[in-house]
Amino acid sequence: MIADRIIEQGTLTTHEGQAAVEVRIPWYRALPGSCIAGATLSIDGTQAPADTLRWSMNGRTFSFDELVNETDEWWFPLDSATLTGQLALRQDIEEHEVQVELKVYIPYIITDHGVLHIEESDTKTMKAEQR
Amino acid sequence: MNTLGTPIQGVTLYSFTRASHARQYDLESLIRKVAAEGFGPGLELIGFSSLRGFPNRIDDRFAGKFRELVQEVDLVPTSLAVNVDTGLRRDRLLTQEEMVEYMRAQIEVAARLGFPIARVQISLSPDAMESLLPVAEKYGVTLALEVHADQHGAHERVLALRDRYEKLDSPLLGFTADWGATVTGFAPSLLEAYRRRGASEELLAAVVALWDGFYAEGPPNTQKVHGERFGAFIGLAARHGRPELGIDFAINGTGLFGPAPIETWQEIMPWVRHVHGKFFGIDETGEEPSVPVRGLVAQLVENGYHGAISSEYEGWHWNNWQDPFEIIRGEHALQRAAAKDAGSSMVTDSRIARELLHSHLAQPARG
Repeated sequence: MIADRIIEQGTLTTHEGQAAVEVRIPWYRALPGSCIAGATLSIDGTQAPADTLRWSMNGRTFSFDELVNETDEWWFPLDSATLTGQLALRQDIEEHEVQVELKVYIPYIITDHGVLHIEESDTKTMKAEQR
Repeated sequence: MNTLGTPIQGVTLYSFTRASHARQYDLESLIRKVAAEGFGPGLELIGFSSLRGFPNRIDDRFAGKFRELVQEVDLVPTSLAVNVDTGLRRDRLLTQEEMVEYMRAQIEVAARLGFPIARVQISLSPDAMESLLPVAEKYGVTLALEVHADQHGAHERVLALRDRYEKLDSPLLGFTADWGATVTGFAPSLLEAYRRRGASEELLAAVVALWDGFYAEGPPNTQKVHGERFGAFIGLAARHGRPELGIDFAINGTGLFGPAPIETWQEIMPWVRHVHGKFFGIDETGEEPSVPVRGLVAQLVENGYHGAISSEYEGWHWNNWQDPFEIIRGEHALQRAAAKDAGSSMVTDSRIARELLHSHLAQPARG
């Protein structure tokens, strides 16, 4: 598990009320979209509304509902995905505290309680760039 | 009576996950590093870790370049680790028919890249392995199902597979023995990692005592016992006021440190086609404090094993303060010393390794 690398330092951007940050997989192997089960994005303690979150990888953008059936696009361990949500950044501070929580299924580990899922979170502080 | 075995030295790129994930090496530079360090001749990698677009987007151009690279640096592909992703879909588990096709695509890539073995996983039942035999035959790839903690060589699921292999009598069905099934102690480097996360000495002592108790009781032979032990680690963390560490204790305490005696490997030894030399660290005396590497190598030598041992360092999950390349160097030295003590040697010459691996994989096991 490599949870401390989920958020890529220095990748926070903002554009017309949307905030975006690049994220890395905390696991050693690629996972398909269907195993990326959920995320949250919070900046300076405010969470982006769940229905505004979008996940971009391999040049395509998905809502988390769309990821459920996505078994063709895979998140490769060396590639960053982008998590975007509707969130206006505070103007009075320069360094923003970004928190991402991520839930992924591990498709080859089937337990008595179903497919194993892991939940990890990462918090990093960084400046935001206007896109 | 067996002649003494000469295991082939090697490594899996999984050992370097932290360096690779940090983008310090791409696949080519990591393979070159492995060769330059003398960590071969055996080379293993995980398809879904190392190959972008695995398995459906691996084109012939990539396959050709991969083969040329491996030939140039004089490594010997041993096993491509493939995954049995039964839980790929969110609505239901894959059917056996879907799983056969899912595995076929990965096994085909193993063949195209020049790997004689595909490592498969425990969620394949005896029926599923039987269904996959025509696939193995089509591509000429040995399917070596990994026996990994919390299972072990004498576990009911493993014995059921062995019995089916015996019936099918094919050289293409066997096991990968992962040394993590036969561990003798909770890894000190993981205790150190918990210490760095603020776990008290009292809690760490309790974790060790719980694991030692399971070791004394013996390995879990059923999924039920495994589940009870998993729960015991979670309960322990909660009682000590650190519930957030519970799942971590449980996953590692049951899934990485399997407490089976090494004699359990004898149950399946004739079918062992590949070995994961799983370990978690090398101490200042050059020994592995929690995996009985010397005894495991001696066992392979005594049983006439001529396949590969992929050194598999798994301490990277928690150890971010030591160099994994240095640690692999340490385990290889320990393996070579152990083989020598057992009256044999590890094979480090690539030409001899190719010949041995070819004959090792050619014949069906006779139990």
